[in-house]
Amino acid sequence: MKAAVAFILYVAVAAAAGLVAPIYDWAGALRFMSEMFLYLAMAELWNLLAGYAGLLCMGQQMFIGLGTYCLFYASLKLNVSPYWVMPLSLVFSAAMAALAALFMFRLRVIYFAIGTWILSDMIASFISRTPELGGASGYQLSDVLPLINFDWFDQVIFWIAAGLAFAAVWGSYTLMRSSIGLGLMSIRDNDLAAASLGVDVWMSRFIVFVIAGAGCGLAGAVYFTAQLSMGPGQAFDPNWVVAMLFITIVGGIGTLEGPIIGTAIYFGLREIFTNELNLSGAWYLIALGAAAMVLMLYAPNGLWPEIRDRFGVQGLSVRRHPPKTLLAEAAE
Amino acid sequence: MTALLNVSGLSKRFGAVVVADQVDIAVYVGECLGVIGPNGAGKSSVFNLIAGTLSPDAGTVRFDGVDVTNVPAYKRARAGIVRAFQIPQPFPKLTVYENLLVAAQYGAGLTGGAAEDWVVGVLREFGLAAKAELFGGSLTLLDRKRLELAKAVASKAKLLLLDEVAGGLTEREVEELAALIVTLKRDHAIIWVEHIAHALRAAADRILLLHFGKKLLDGPPVEVLGSPVVKQIYMGLAADEAA
Repeated sequence: MKAAVAFILYVAVAAAAGLVAPIYDWAGALRFMSEMFLYLAMAELWNLLAGYAGLLCMGQQMFIGLGTYCLFYASLKLNVSPYWVMPLSLVFSAAMAALAALFMFRLRVIYFAIGTWILSDMIASFISRTPELGGASGYQLSDVLPLINFDWFDQVIFWIAAGLAFAAVWGSYTLMRSSIGLGLMSIRDNDLAAASLGVDVWMSRFIVFVIAGAGCGLAGAVYFTAQLSMGPGQAFDPNWVVAMLFITIVGGIGTLEGPIIGTAIYFGLREIFTNELNLSGAWYLIALGAAAMVLMLYAPNGLWPEIRDRFGVQGLSVRRHPPKTLLAEAAE
Repeated sequence: MTALLNVSGLSKRFGAVVVADQVDIAVYVGECLGVIGPNGAGKSSVFNLIAGTLSPDAGTVRFDGVDVTNVPAYKRARAGIVRAFQIPQPFPKLTVYENLLVAAQYGAGLTGGAAEDWVVGVLREFGLAAKAELFGGSLTLLDRKRLELAKAVASKAKLLLLDEVAGGLTEREVEELAALIVTLKRDHAIIWVEHIAHALRAAADRILLLHFGKKLLDGPPVEVLGSPVVKQIYMGLAADEAA
């Protein structure tokens, strides 16, 4: 019930923000929010991988790149508006994730982290050396610009981004409340013990890897649609996964609320450092790294667990509780 | 009555090291088979072969009338072969209740309310009801061992593989644990690898001696533990000296 109310509120606020934005000339704010929502979606999915499935994937940018390339390529070749090929990006990224899993899942923990990173770089290098795929300069959406209504462009992107972020958070919550979720948490804690109790470790991880690949692929496609252009260096940029990692760790890895708080902090710091303090380029990254280190010293589990334990708030908890009668009876 | 577990001709080697050499084992429901042998005798490997985390070079593992030699570990667990580890392996960031819920939902294949009720019953049986909301990682050693056994029971195991579960416990705790294992014999077949001989004597119906992957003895506890071969292997005495 509470969930339904939250959902309606979320949709209402997002829709209203999109509708009133043009009146007040909020285009900049809408673009900023769109970007934030897309980062939130990606971080939430990466958290699902690293925080719940025990898959430290350092090559998640490969799906952002693949989804983006799928969208640009299909939109330009078929001469259709990029909106219509977004579902294709989702399906294509899911298929690529399934394929990658067949090879990458043979690698364990740190080897998996390195393996996925290298695979992403290999794909990026291959594309930038293949003129048929746009080579090093990538693609612009210039040929299909007439198909896009620019009066509504920022709003539509914003709505898609807001929807994707919501789907990522709510989908993760639903997944973690299911029996697959319980299996995933047991794998995260100890995969050998999980298998000894009948948990299919490979399949559980496969499901999450495909979901995260599909979601990040779509998020990337939406992000670069908003930019109207892309190149292999940007689409397969390792900074994507660095941002996901920063957001997840700072907010609280292995909690669903963590990435939400982490996203707010990441963008908050970015605005403060670049707009208010006028730090540029390397200085901004140094400041961001310093902030991360300070946070890690005082809240090693991330901010959300601190807030939750200090104030006793219940967010999107996926904890299962025994019947109250058992605890009452045991307390006697 | 046919044996619940029937292992025959099981062999496995890693290069020159033979960890299982033509091992035959049969275990029945209601029976506890103790396994002893010096370090490196192949006890853990035999467990891994039965649980499915290792695959044999030769031989077969039949469980409940089905050949499971090529069945992966998680499916064997669902079929009822469940192990309790030497070093307890609770899920540290899950509560005791959730630990058992994993076993109930995956191992036993229960869902929803049926899984909850089943877990509540197991919590009571193992005296863990008051600790249901504690994290697996925060328990004392004895409680972690209890939880380890409780997980196996919650997964509706038919065959329990107990891997040196008495190690690291005080004398009193060993007695408590052995008593618990005796009660588990009622509806399980148990294979218990253990160094602590008197714990085995209290619970085991038969004892099997492994040495360099070979089964040397298989018989009643008194007979096996008192045999000159055991003394020879464990203390380095010649058989006639020991006798």
